[in-house]
Amino acid sequence: MSLGSRAGGVPRSLIAAGLLAPAALLFAVLFVWPQLGLFVQSVGQPPPFGLAQYQRFLGDSYYLGVLGNSLLLGLCVTLVTLVLGFPLAFLLARAETRWAGLLLLLTTFPLWVSAVVRSFAWMVLFFRNGVASRMLQATGLVPHDFQLLGTFTGVVIALAQVLLPIMIVTLYAVIRGIDRDLEHAAMNLGASPAMAMLLVTLRLARGGVLAGSLLVFSLSVSAFATPSLVGGARAHFMAVTIYEQTLELLDWPFAAAIAAILLAISLSVALTYGKLLGDGRGEAR
Amino acid sequence: MPRDGLLARPFGRRAMLGAGAALAGSPLIGEAAAQALRFAGREVVATAFGGPSQDMLQRMVFDRVQRETGARGTQTPLLSAQAFARMRAEAQAPQIDLFMFSGGQQVQAKADGLTQPLPTQPNFANVPANLKDPEGHWIAWGLVTEGILYRPDKVANPPRSYRDFFRPEFAGHIAFPHITNGYGTDFLVMLARAHGGSEQNIGPGFEAMKRISARANIFRTAAEVQTLFASGDIWIMPYDGASAMRSTAMGIPVAYSVPEEGAPFVLLVGCAARRSRNADIAAAILNGHLEPEVQASIAREVGWAPVNTATQLPPDVAPFMAPTDRLADLNRDVINASRNAWTERFNREIATR
Repeated sequence: MSLGSRAGGVPRSLIAAGLLAPAALLFAVLFVWPQLGLFVQSVGQPPPFGLAQYQRFLGDSYYLGVLGNSLLLGLCVTLVTLVLGFPLAFLLARAETRWAGLLLLLTTFPLWVSAVVRSFAWMVLFFRNGVASRMLQATGLVPHDFQLLGTFTGVVIALAQVLLPIMIVTLYAVIRGIDRDLEHAAMNLGASPAMAMLLVTLRLARGGVLAGSLLVFSLSVSAFATPSLVGGARAHFMAVTIYEQTLELLDWPFAAAIAAILLAISLSVALTYGKLLGDGRGEAR
Repeated sequence: MPRDGLLARPFGRRAMLGAGAALAGSPLIGEAAAQALRFAGREVVATAFGGPSQDMLQRMVFDRVQRETGARGTQTPLLSAQAFARMRAEAQAPQIDLFMFSGGQQVQAKADGLTQPLPTQPNFANVPANLKDPEGHWIAWGLVTEGILYRPDKVANPPRSYRDFFRPEFAGHIAFPHITNGYGTDFLVMLARAHGGSEQNIGPGFEAMKRISARANIFRTAAEVQTLFASGDIWIMPYDGASAMRSTAMGIPVAYSVPEEGAPFVLLVGCAARRSRNADIAAAILNGHLEPEVQASIAREVGWAPVNTATQLPPDVAPFMAPTDRLADLNRDVINASRNAWTERFNREIATR
């Protein structure tokens, strides 16, 4: 550590606090405070305090199914984006061409288009006589009137495309920071290129995998536009259910309870996942 | 009200200008000019559904009333639910005289003492009794008529009843709106009625819907109607006639059939705020909405069916609207009270994989 505990007479902890303050304030005002408000609304029945809304959700197999769908969606989309995104991010990070910057820009291109527009495009492909559904019908594996629109698989495909750039950009930054000499050293010491990749690169990229997965997972479980457009009426996901309860049925306490449950579950999944992946970190260094 | 979105429909500005110009030359104007301007110097404020219908009504009704009576009319766009909130908030000192509703708010408004009787007008007599308040507190000036939409190029034998959704040739070619779409709720009720049920006994409706839902396309928004028909895959769905008219105008052949069980409908009504001093002008404006040529223009340009039985619809518009004697009056109180329970049941029994 080159920095002492004091820099110019100001305690380091004060500097840190000062740097954190704007973000923390924003976070408190725009996230913590409204979340608290939601929580208060969700436990207001019967007044002054009750857990009826939570019992209604957790005691009902239909709503538990909705929760399961959302978590499964998050898992599938994370896996797909990871499998598709890692090689691409690796290639981009290692490409020694002046086009690399342009290629990265192209990768993020889908992010410039609204998720609604992208989802509409997928709907066109997923209709019964859309290109994607036709191709599947041609394989003979699905009935002739099969359509991807309104299926879980369809939602995974569309959402993975929507979120893939986020995974790639996150992985790219991390892979780019990995010292290539470490791989060379591993190969010098007798590791095959594949072994070096597995033991060195993948391990060092763990932080990127973790960050990318968490981003994609949390965006997937709370996604609304793509699941409701591509999934249609038969898509029972958390965000869609919250929307329905809030805007269409005006049952705000129940919607608040669902939102609180979604937040609690995604937070605990994120923390567990972070712990699992983070545990091996020291060893990898 | 969610339906307001469906009511704000695009239509040809040029056609509207033409209609307005045609009216300006009508003989009624000359007649009115002969009288003293009975509302000279007064002003009236009305709510409107916004969008192009507002421009058209300004030209065809408000401007005309001003020429004939001297009262200047202003429209302010407000969705029905917000208009009702405003009516309630300003009950003691209304800033708006004439309120337009499309979500049935007039019934509550009258019950809460927020309305007043409108002085009767010549065209009011031509509106059927079930489309106006017996005590004159509100009167309808337009209808969104629902029914069965189908592709006439794919369906040889036009559907005539809600029971026709079960004809084997339609399997795999049916779409219907989600229950959170107002038309979806009405479809459920009409299926129940066609199978011995009712608003109070919705079970047969759910049973019937379950028989077609597995292979049906369930959609949420009005925007999807054209897409579904254009896909070539969907041949039949319950929706409103105006959507069929719009699809046809877009080059997708879609016909409208008034079911023998009757056509569910959405009423567009006007009523005057209780403490408004301009109920007489408001009544004159509603009378203007009910002029047969205005009714026909609204039908042609916006797709809202006429309520004045003296209206002659052009032959290219008439097939997309239900006449007032073939409407099905649904019990909106029961429907609204059951909405949450029906939605839960719909999610569990109908919108499944």
